[in-house]
Amino acid sequence: MRVPWTWLNEYTDLRWDPQEAAHRLTMAGINVEGLSYEKLEISSVVSAKVLDVKPHPRKPGQQIGILDAGTEKLQIVSGAPGFKKGNIALVVRPGGTLPGGVRIEPRELDGVVSQGMAVCANELLTGQPPRPHEDIILLPPGTALGIPAQELFELDDWVMELELTVNYSHCLGILGVAMEASALAKTPLVLPEVLEKWNWAGAYGSLEPESHNDGEPEIQINLPDPELCPRYVGKLVEDVRFAYSPVNIERRLYLAGQRPLNLIVDATNYVMLETGQPLHAFDAGKISGKAIAVRSSRPGEVLVTLDGEERELPERTIVIADASGPVAVAGIMGGKATEITGATRKVLVESAYFEPLLVRLASQKLKLRTEAALRFEKGVDPTAQAAAAERAAALIAGLSGGMPVSGYAETNHLQIEPKRIMLHMKTVERVLGTKFSPETCREILEAINFQVEEGGTTVPEGTSILVTVPPRRVDIQAEVDLIEEVARHYGYGNLGIGDLSRVVPGGITDPHKLCVEKIRDLLVSLGGMECVTNSLVGPGDLACLGWNSGDPRGNPVRLRNPLSSQESVLRTSLIPGLMKVASANMRSGIPGMFIWEIGRVFFPSAELPIEAGQIGFASYGVLKPETWLGGPDESGFYRMKGVISSLMDLLGAFNIEYLPRAGMPFHPGRSARIVANMSTIGEIGELHPVCLKHLDIPLPVTASWLSLDGLMSAVKPRDYKAVSRFMPVERDLAVIVPEGVPGGDVIDSIRKTGKHLVSVILFDIWRKPPVPPDHKSLAIRLVYQPQDRTLTEEELAEDRQRIMKRLKEDYDAVLRA
Amino acid sequence: MLSSEGKDESFFISVKKGGKARDFIMRKVCASDMKHNLAEMKSHVLEEISKVSTSEELDSVRVRYLGRKGEISVLLKHIGSLAPEERPEFGAAVNALREQVADAISRRKDELDKLALEEILHRDTIDISLPGEVYEIGGLHPLTKAMREVASVFSSLGFAAYESREAETDEMNFVKLNIAPGHPARDMQETFYLSDNTLMRTHTSPGQIRGMLSLKGKLPVRFIVPGRVYRRDPTDASHHPVFHQVEGLAVDIDVTFKELRGVLSAFMKRFFGQEVSTRLRPSYFPFTEPSCEVDISCMFCKGKGCSVCGGSGYLEVAGAGMVHPRVLVNGGYDPGKVTGFAFGFGLDRLAMLKYGIDDIRLLYGNDRRFLSQFRGL
Repeated sequence: MRVPWTWLNEYTDLRWDPQEAAHRLTMAGINVEGLSYEKLEISSVVSAKVLDVKPHPRKPGQQIGILDAGTEKLQIVSGAPGFKKGNIALVVRPGGTLPGGVRIEPRELDGVVSQGMAVCANELLTGQPPRPHEDIILLPPGTALGIPAQELFELDDWVMELELTVNYSHCLGILGVAMEASALAKTPLVLPEVLEKWNWAGAYGSLEPESHNDGEPEIQINLPDPELCPRYVGKLVEDVRFAYSPVNIERRLYLAGQRPLNLIVDATNYVMLETGQPLHAFDAGKISGKAIAVRSSRPGEVLVTLDGEERELPERTIVIADASGPVAVAGIMGGKATEITGATRKVLVESAYFEPLLVRLASQKLKLRTEAALRFEKGVDPTAQAAAAERAAALIAGLSGGMPVSGYAETNHLQIEPKRIMLHMKTVERVLGTKFSPETCREILEAINFQVEEGGTTVPEGTSILVTVPPRRVDIQAEVDLIEEVARHYGYGNLGIGDLSRVVPGGITDPHKLCVEKIRDLLVSLGGMECVTNSLVGPGDLACLGWNSGDPRGNPVRLRNPLSSQESVLRTSLIPGLMKVASANMRSGIPGMFIWEIGRVFFPSAELPIEAGQIGFASYGVLKPETWLGGPDESGFYRMKGVISSLMDLLGAFNIEYLPRAGMPFHPGRSARIVANMSTIGEIGELHPVCLKHLDIPLPVTASWLSLDGLMSAVKPRDYKAVSRFMPVERDLAVIVPEGVPGGDVIDSIRKTGKHLVSVILFDIWRKPPVPPDHKSLAIRLVYQPQDRTLTEEELAEDRQRIMKRLKEDYDAVLRA
Repeated sequence: MLSSEGKDESFFISVKKGGKARDFIMRKVCASDMKHNLAEMKSHVLEEISKVSTSEELDSVRVRYLGRKGEISVLLKHIGSLAPEERPEFGAAVNALREQVADAISRRKDELDKLALEEILHRDTIDISLPGEVYEIGGLHPLTKAMREVASVFSSLGFAAYESREAETDEMNFVKLNIAPGHPARDMQETFYLSDNTLMRTHTSPGQIRGMLSLKGKLPVRFIVPGRVYRRDPTDASHHPVFHQVEGLAVDIDVTFKELRGVLSAFMKRFFGQEVSTRLRPSYFPFTEPSCEVDISCMFCKGKGCSVCGGSGYLEVAGAGMVHPRVLVNGGYDPGKVTGFAFGFGLDRLAMLKYGIDDIRLLYGNDRRFLSQFRGL
């Protein structure tokens, strides 16, 4: 909300500069997001008296006037009705400017030179031509001549931009802000006369109207469904004539962000901005049937709203209807048919309380976020309808020269019980950590127009106060809300800072979480770069990896209201995200990368999706370029398998098996299931060429995933074993096996068969003669190290025989000569 | 080579040096002559030793003079030709010579060894300016680094870490946090829905409820909830539909707003630096009362006002407040007996401020050139 500084100070004389006021308000919760000096870009616009006029010889309707602008005489041509001898006008001198960069130079009008221009309000405030029937600005008789416009009107002002939280709906009127500011600055609050009369600021809310007009109201108000609209005030203003508002009012409306239209509509807007109560003005003459009803929209009903749009009214929209049908969308926007026009002679000012939620829903569905809707949906003061209507009627009457105001109708189903809350000093201290006296609390609360009494008889004297909450404060429901009022007006910064002696951890220490952090460190030390990718992916990302409905990963949890199809489902794997990272980096010319991510993947389930922790890996290209010392370090299946093995080793996850697998997204001959305790805990492999093609990735990529739960279940606590005092013995073994025998099986078999082995390392594979065709020779280094002795040659030979016998039986292996 | 002829009163010692023979004539005259001759021999031998340039040559010099048949050893064989009274003196002189020569050889050997070692060291010198073998160490994502710092500071303030769900029920995400259907606060959060009543959490605050429920009324409650949250905000420099938050909750019999100030101010100082000051500004959250925004003095301009803080000198980094009594009830705690405070902040924003990152998309783009800048400590 925009709050012009001069307007604010009309209600309380702040004696602060605008910066100080903005800071104080912000620190009391009235968030001033911006403060700017709004200067009307005009120059050389001054008061000037029309000394004499004569008709333009060739242009009918135009007058040639001689004007006294104080220091000089100007000849100006104008056709305005107010351009008469003796009137004081506002003129732009030659070389002067109007907003929007409009520059006024002497110009010739059919042979007559006009040295400047007499302006109307629209020209002065916007630089745009006069509106229909708009006269030039006329200044009161006796106004000094040659005085700049800035000194004659409030044109330049500071404007505070408020960014209010939803609980401060009472500050959606400038008076509400003024009330807060007056409490902070300890300056008195001065209400406009009508509002003072209606006790608008009182702790019990505005006064109820005492009596209705005698006899039949001119327009009957029917509230068939008090749930939709419990209170509706209709104020009739008769004998109105069309006019524009005075310059100061128009300028204030502009500064507050509201476009002035005409005196009547401006008055309703002005009062809305002042009090926070939205008002609407109907042309009463266009209401058919002498009665209106506030009811729910009927199927198929349409309304042409003030903005000229024909709108189909959504279900459960509150409408104001006359005999012909809807004439306004309640609390949001009026209808075109009953709009105020030049022909309007009788006005119905509407001031009502509409059900906030219904206004909000209708405003959302209609995509009409008007100032009125914004206020209704937050909840307005339920007592202020009559006061606001009276204020607007008085404004209209006052501004348009004392027109008679009559007619008054109100229907009220609202029973406002004053809300009373007991505030215990003990609770204040318990919550804030600072002791407060009842006097301090009383002072603070009374300053913002709460009513405070002694705490009553049920509690010891001086320990509590009984607080009556003004009805405009719809946000105050309970004792803690009062504590916040006390705290924010006392100043959060004055509450003291508590000591931090409390060190007893009060939570859940999750060993799983600690382990995840260790895994992160291990992966960093193994050369991996951590990534954080979007957990929202597109179905296309999953399809590219060949996961269709047959695979759980092809059946993601879908968002109902995604922003785009690329971010419309929850990821079922970390691989799609990592593929995007790999692809983007390839395209940036990064020759190679080993990346990983730890995060959650999601699968559909009965109510809430299953969330599972996963580690994803991907690598491509040259991880480390060739240097003069050697290299390069290339990514690939074995490189990644090595990383995973190292990770498993460091974590203490043993008995991990790599078994053949099939299916997307991996190369069938270059991928494996990672198995622990008979269950698959992950996969590793080079991406299938078809997937790479779908992903438009030019280089081979190796990827892997591990289930965090699966990995944790494979981790076994490590037992300390005594270190052998005996020297290790190394023996090499070369075995020839048929090509189809998995080398890993041979190694595992040796590990299980040999005795006292501490390490079995495959150091070479040989496939050329003398190894027979379709066979391979595996060169394996065995390291023996028993705890209690050094093995003898006989023992070593015996072990070799045992191993070879096993390998012969299982794999048809022979010892290479 | 040595040749000696035992005739008359004199004998010869021939010493071949460098192929040239030189004879010392040892005359059987008197001890003083003998001494003179021994001195002459000594100076000759020492000179010879000093000129030797390899340890092999030195060894042959040693054998020639000190070997069992060496020249100095041989001298003693002639002791019999001297008068008996002169024999002890001659013997002592020869032994002294022997020792001096042995000593000189030993010193020369040390010198030669040293020279040889120097030669080896010189020969083995490498070009230390060439690059070494570099290990490719990976790196943590800046969000992880920031998260760890956050967790570590709060751990020292007595807060454990609790991980909660990312997919949530409407009930947990809104209703239990005092945000009933139709509550205007729901407007503040654009929500991704999965079904009528399930959604992606829009904040880590449902972790407050789940955390409290899992503690089953035990005191104290003191934990943080880090994790991903989801909002229907189109991506731009400061928005990403998926981002990270950290929630904090403390509930006990004597938790106050004052302590909340203390905790937040301590955290900000430890996370951003001692010079950072914290202020709490009244605000509104449905699940806290009183509520506040947490501002820190801008670390870029030291509070003077700059483009980062929009000239205000302060940066809004978190929201906080005293836990609303209804929320305590929803977590299984009695607001008549306990009070609590809660806070929440965007980890992405904190990390961006700490590391000076100006576009949130960089965090989710994972460009290697970006990530590798955060590899160090």
